[in-house]
Amino acid sequence: MFFSSPAWDSVTYWSLDIETGGLDPKRDPIIALGMLPIRQGVIRLSEAYRTLVRPEEGREIRPESVQAHQLVREEVREAPPLPEVLAEVDRRVREGALLVHHQGIDVAFLKRAFARHGRRWPSPPVVDTVELLLKLERRRRFSAPEAGGDGPSVNLAAARRRLGLPDYQEHDALTDAIATAELFLCLRGALRATTLRQL
Amino acid sequence: MASLDPVAFLRSTPPFHALPAALFEAAAGSLEIGYYPAGSILVRVGAEPLQHLYVIRKGSVRLERDGQTLQVLEEGETFGYTSLLTGKATLDVQVEDDLLAYRVPATRFQALLGDAQFAGHFAVGLSQRLKSSLEHSPVTTFKADLQLEVQQLLRRPAIWVEAGATVGEAARVMRDQRVSSVLVRGDPPGIVTDRDFRNRVLSEGLGPETPVASIVSRPLRTVDAATPISAAWTTLLDTGGHHLPIRRGDEIVGVLTSSDLLKVHAPGPVAVLRRVERMADRTGLPGYAAKVTEMVAALLGGGLEADLIAGYVARLNDALLRRLLTFAEADLGPPPAPYAWVVMGSEGRMEQTLLTDQDNALIFDDLGEAKRDWYQALAERVNADLEAAGFPPCQGGYMARHWLGTVSEWVQRFAGWFEARKPQELLEASTFFDYRKVGGALDIEPLEAALSSTAQHPIFLRYLARAALELRPPNSLLLRLRESTELDLKMQGLAPIVLLARCYGLEIGAAERNTHARLAAAVKAGLMSQEVFNVVGEAYKFLLGLRLRLQLRLAAEGRPAINKLAFSDLSAIERSRLKDAFRAIKSWQEMAAYHYQASF
Repeated sequence: MFFSSPAWDSVTYWSLDIETGGLDPKRDPIIALGMLPIRQGVIRLSEAYRTLVRPEEGREIRPESVQAHQLVREEVREAPPLPEVLAEVDRRVREGALLVHHQGIDVAFLKRAFARHGRRWPSPPVVDTVELLLKLERRRRFSAPEAGGDGPSVNLAAARRRLGLPDYQEHDALTDAIATAELFLCLRGALRATTLRQL
Repeated sequence: MASLDPVAFLRSTPPFHALPAALFEAAAGSLEIGYYPAGSILVRVGAEPLQHLYVIRKGSVRLERDGQTLQVLEEGETFGYTSLLTGKATLDVQVEDDLLAYRVPATRFQALLGDAQFAGHFAVGLSQRLKSSLEHSPVTTFKADLQLEVQQLLRRPAIWVEAGATVGEAARVMRDQRVSSVLVRGDPPGIVTDRDFRNRVLSEGLGPETPVASIVSRPLRTVDAATPISAAWTTLLDTGGHHLPIRRGDEIVGVLTSSDLLKVHAPGPVAVLRRVERMADRTGLPGYAAKVTEMVAALLGGGLEADLIAGYVARLNDALLRRLLTFAEADLGPPPAPYAWVVMGSEGRMEQTLLTDQDNALIFDDLGEAKRDWYQALAERVNADLEAAGFPPCQGGYMARHWLGTVSEWVQRFAGWFEARKPQELLEASTFFDYRKVGGALDIEPLEAALSSTAQHPIFLRYLARAALELRPPNSLLLRLRESTELDLKMQGLAPIVLLARCYGLEIGAAERNTHARLAAAVKAGLMSQEVFNVVGEAYKFLLGLRLRLQLRLAAEGRPAINKLAFSDLSAIERSRLKDAFRAIKSWQEMAAYHYQASF
């Protein structure tokens, strides 16, 4: 049983979301981060970690990003510096899997940041709710090919609404992490996934 | 944590809404979120009990025993407390629609039980649960209006928008929530009102994309939740605004408007009474009904129970009626022989809150027979005056101008009603058998004697009981949010109780007319257990209060008072208690059906 994969709910997932000062992992800063764990299949608010992040020297918050996260430079100036925050992230994600909505952004930013600050990326298994959404969509098309049309939006709020989850405010890192965690539990059920590998 | 959506939802859900901030924060800090696909079994009878209190955020669960569904719970309802309180799993809990639930661990729940109000919500007895659900803690003595605390006027949590919202978004939130102001997050938080849209947006030629931040008023001028209304009124006058955020500790728990406060500032019963007593002539009549409605709204807002308020209204109406009789006698000269003015139906039972109709009749001494015209004229005048005061004429036509006669005639009528078998006759009998004398010097003992002999007419009683039992509360399993069920609070809730209580009252020859008093008399006579009395009595009060709030809302919108409401318009706690109330009625009806089959 060398290739056996653990039962899905025996794994701890750290759901994580970051707010960034732009969309370029090479140049833009991480300015807020929220994460909380799913243990035994249940989301635990008591272990939530939520922090603003002081942008590194020379990295600016792009004006067009402010519309989403509502954070300006003054608000993050006194926040903990990135290396401190990365240590917190590192300690947590080593516990199990990392859960994000769209790893193209969040994981790319984190990897770059880890590398910049001389930290080895712990390479946790990554579960991406966007991928799970696409997987669910493929299955539905397979079973109902006549439905056709464009694939539905993978936007977090739109996907949640489609699956019957409540509307939460967007672009607060911890709330988005909670929203992602709930979406994950919902998708896990819809996909009938029983092991980590099936996710 | 306060700005997290799950935490905000928990805060607005009873009984968490009433927790002191520190206790609530601790509970919120321990919150867990679970997702359970349809078909999941959360617990089974006799197995390991639940270890959490669950609050349903989305979806629904069925509580079952022996394969029978006892209850269906939906958004905003809680479960798991029986497990937590008794340490046993006494029900199966099965997920019906995919369930997103927020849950509080057992140890935290136990700590919260230290709060009396919180614990009261989970009281094991149905009557206690109904009682604690009456929107506020029962106020047994009437406090002077203006010394009530502002928090007793709050009806809903504060509505917020994010700091970055646009005016258009804020306006949509206000429309959807039907509020005239919205709070704006930020440090410090601020407020935006209808008025700001007019004065700072439209009149400046700005559009819906304008950031709310550019028109917000901050910092907020708040008052503490325990502030007396009189003091809050002063604050509002000081600020020149129309919206007053209410704070408990550091938390804003709601926003009062100037009209909320005005309602309470309106005269209480004593002031309305004085107005009636000082009425020199008929010119003072118009506006009476509006004053009473205003008072009722204020007293309900002040936390008084509906049956208590109905008692005030009855007494005020009685005072008005006596005034009208003196006006009529002044016009017509002294009565040829004594008479009695009686009111019937809900007024007879002292259960009318808003002035929805007039049910009255006139009884005069046999010696007055020759001067029948005098009594006819009296009835005409008083009926017309009542109409002028705002009592709509009764649709069924039970008005003194049509229903007057000598004592002998009335005794005859009563005897005839005992033979009533057809629905229309039974309805007539029921209305008249709730009569209550409010004016005149005539002694109507012969009618009392006739009424207390009802037990000697078992067939009549059986028909009456049958009619009462035909009115059925809706099956609580069919009460679902998604079904857009419409309920008739009168025919499905209040009437079944009123009619059955009347049967009991007549059977034992009780002098009481009031439903609650009749039930109490039935307990005394051994016809009803104390336990059933408690449950049915609380169900009745709850339904009365619910209907009164509905009718006040309709009155405020200028719509006629009806008894129908959509199940989905109720708050979670009201939905759940309404189901409790319907269940209480149903089980009482089953017992009563047995009683009337067995004994008659």
